[in-house]
Amino acid sequence: MEPEPRLVLRAAGLTKRYRRTQAVGGVDLAVAAGERVALLGPNGAGKTTTLMMLLGVVTPDSGWVEVAGCRLPKQRSQAARHVGFAAGYLPLPERLRVREFLTMFGRLYGIADPAPAVALGLERFGISHLADNMGNELSSGQRTLVGIIKATLHRPMLLILDEPTASLDPDVALRVRAGLERLCAEEGTALLVTSHNMIEVERLCERVVFIAGGIVVADGKPADVASRFGVDDLEEVFIHLAAAEPRR
Amino acid sequence: MNDLLDGRPAMMLRVRAIARRNAYVLQRAPQRWFDVVFWPTVDTLLFGAVGVQLSRASGGGHAAVAAVVSGILLFHIVFQAEVGLSTGFMEETWSRNLLNLLVTPLREGEYLAGVVLFGLLKLAIAIATVSLVALALFAFHVTDFGLALIPLAAVLLVVGWAVGLVVIGLILRVGQGAEILAWGLLAMVLPLSGAFYPVSALPGPLQPIARLLPTTRVFAAGRGVLAGHGLAWSQLGLASVSTVVITVLAIAWVYRSLAVFRARGYISRHV
Repeated sequence: MEPEPRLVLRAAGLTKRYRRTQAVGGVDLAVAAGERVALLGPNGAGKTTTLMMLLGVVTPDSGWVEVAGCRLPKQRSQAARHVGFAAGYLPLPERLRVREFLTMFGRLYGIADPAPAVALGLERFGISHLADNMGNELSSGQRTLVGIIKATLHRPMLLILDEPTASLDPDVALRVRAGLERLCAEEGTALLVTSHNMIEVERLCERVVFIAGGIVVADGKPADVASRFGVDDLEEVFIHLAAAEPRR
Repeated sequence: MNDLLDGRPAMMLRVRAIARRNAYVLQRAPQRWFDVVFWPTVDTLLFGAVGVQLSRASGGGHAAVAAVVSGILLFHIVFQAEVGLSTGFMEETWSRNLLNLLVTPLREGEYLAGVVLFGLLKLAIAIATVSLVALALFAFHVTDFGLALIPLAAVLLVVGWAVGLVVIGLILRVGQGAEILAWGLLAMVLPLSGAFYPVSALPGPLQPIARLLPTTRVFAAGRGVLAGHGLAWSQLGLASVSTVVITVLAIAWVYRSLAVFRARGYISRHV
């Protein structure tokens, strides 16, 4: 019998309603240590709300979340020590240099001397030359890379990324992907990522979870999920679900 | 995972990180100096000149000038404490950094402590500015308050932080539309508190409201000290009690507002 995988994230029965809209209608999710999982679904499916509940930024109406054995919201601060988060849509704060921004977040995560972690992160994603640039001098791709470095300084057990490569050039997206693969291989970091780029997901993740209308409609290996829907790839699954999703 | 600090050392590290972040903002944003140098200078000049004119018209001598200038000095303690806290938080909303902070181990109290810590430096710069301008242009010595300035300033400082918490709570609930209250709330408190005049100078219906404010009693106590009556400890005691009540309510309000912010998913307003 195979041993039970060690879970870094467990969530059960998550629901969230915003006024008349049921954003999330009962999501169960578990991510094992070192596992690379994509959370997919059409716009408005409930992906970001689910991520926000997993991060403790949004309180679920019902259900519970446990990160590295720490239950939210009571142990949110302890749980956050084990999680990194970055989003492609988040800018860097103005008036901070890249190194200052990363150092600040390193300290917020409890690293007494963040300099080595900052240097390693910049080197891993190939942007050491940007260390002294101001945040508002960076391109969107460079900002995304800095955001991911920020999220990995403390070597989290789980890295949560919301649309990390949205609106990036293919070459920058490739660097992001390569950096993430390197990180996961070197550190054993588990990954939970949302993306609309199905090709990227198939390359990066070993498991996909499709959400539609706020509920999980498929969970498994990319090829298995595609075959369950009777299609060839994840892109077709996505189109199928988007067409079925009621317009919000 | 890196060897991460835990407990008190981690807490101190996070508080310092927030304070340093605010220091970078002040260092690199010239417009932030308006609050700590420009407005204190303008206010001292403006109200000092009004004080001079009043003393000429009434024959009140230097005491009339001192009463007005001391009022603006004490008011700036409340103002700087409040604006330092609320604009420190607003900086995170302006730079869309709130989500980045909310996903870290940073606790609410640690964040507030970091902003308050740096706010004390801004307060010191602003009060030094008022004191120097008052001395140079109106021959008003801040040392005229003597040691009484310490308890007077302490109460005003806490009132300023409490009002800052109220503003942060409003921004969490209402969004950036509430930002104007960072400056507006105190603009309402200033005339009601009788910073430059006794409560009896206010219109009758407003006087009971004015007497409820701790700032009113502190300003009155400050004028008493300058008039040579010594520190009215009874006034200061009442001010302290009402300040404690206001502060407890403000803390409860900001924690409740954060709970509402999380429950209603208001983070979407700030990304």
